Amino acid sequence: MVLVYNLYIFDRHCQCIYYTEWNRPVSPLTADIASVRTRAKEVARVNQGRSSDDNGAASASDSRRPLVWPTAPVSSSNAKDKSIASVQNVAMEEEAKLVYGVVLSTRNIINKFNGKDGPQGGNPGGFMSFATNTYRLHYYEAPTGVKFILNTDTATTSMQPVLEMIYRNIYVEYVVKNPLFHIDPHVSVPIENDYFRAVLNNYIREISASSTTTA
Amino acid sequence: MSAKQYKTVGEEAWKNNVEKVNAELFIFTYGSLVVQLVKDYEDYTAVNKQLDKMGYNIGVRLIDDVLARTGLEKCADFHSTAEVISKVGFKVFLNITPSVQNWSSDGKEFSLIIDDNPLNDFCELPPRAVQDGLWYSNVFCGVIRGALEMMQMQTEVYFVRDVLHGADVSEIRVKLVKVLDEEVPANDE
Repeated sequence: MVLVYNLYIFDRHCQCIYYTEWNRPVSPLTADIASVRTRAKEVARVNQGRSSDDNGAASASDSRRPLVWPTAPVSSSNAKDKSIASVQNVAMEEEAKLVYGVVLSTRNIINKFNGKDGPQGGNPGGFMSFATNTYRLHYYEAPTGVKFILNTDTATTSMQPVLEMIYRNIYVEYVVKNPLFHIDPHVSVPIENDYFRAVLNNYIREISASSTTTA
Repeated sequence: MSAKQYKTVGEEAWKNNVEKVNAELFIFTYGSLVVQLVKDYEDYTAVNKQLDKMGYNIGVRLIDDVLARTGLEKCADFHSTAEVISKVGFKVFLNITPSVQNWSSDGKEFSLIIDDNPLNDFCELPPRAVQDGLWYSNVFCGVIRGALEMMQMQTEVYFVRDVLHGADVSEIRVKLVKVLDEEVPANDE
């Protein structure tokens, strides 16, 4: 049983181009959404009878589909929704920067210990994962500099094949080969491909369900 | 890895992991693309430039595909890069293996010699085009440049001679300008 918490993808310009989470207990995205929902419920209670409750439908679909970030800007005219979205955005941006900083520094120090550090970066030292007492962070860097960071429970020791699989068969297949995904090599573009999301989500669900623990 | 191993990698990938399309369809599609560019730009230098640009945009994506198919790691030096371009890159996408020759003494420049460029099949350039220096397969240069840039190598890639211009082989020169550093996050404190 593998418990996957979340996944970050960073491009070669140090930008988080994709984030998604599955079983994350505390998150800058859910924390605010929870408060939005309670607020929405209060509003709905007040307005009962006056407006049809479409919040219910929205939250039901939310719980089925994992949260992703960055998302397209909220088109809602509701000022409150917008401000909450921007608060979430800021929180997520901060988090992504921190994660990138931690991972990059860890990788660099490992490279240094191996005497293989240099301005070209890369992962010659072979940084694969680190663990705390609550989670394990897995790291994979493609030779083109795209970085995948996956957090799981501590019992899961090796996710290298999984991350490689995500890069080779999901990222390359649905992002790089997607003609609509505009790759300008000098600008970061977030991944907003539904197909990519769906395939990734299925794959993660599959490995979460498989009882064989990769040891 | 030695040159021989790269050859095996390329051949394996070509045999097992590549969806093939009809060669003639591909060649004619490319031919009509070039013809259209010539019509649109009415200037062969501009066509060269446009082909290079298209190639670049292809190259920046293609590199990920090559790596995903073959599982190759970063090359240790520019010599192995040259081997990979010829024995894996060209092999996987075009089923040809240009030979790597004419290394410069500082090891930063080499030539790819192509004697069987499939794009040249059924193609004959009008004298004007030869005279004004249209490099029919200039898209290759862009692809190589784009792919190498994603591997943090800034290069200049250009045609030196072409069978279509009457030479006995085609030659592409690849010149390493510099190795780019990895980007680091902007300090925003």
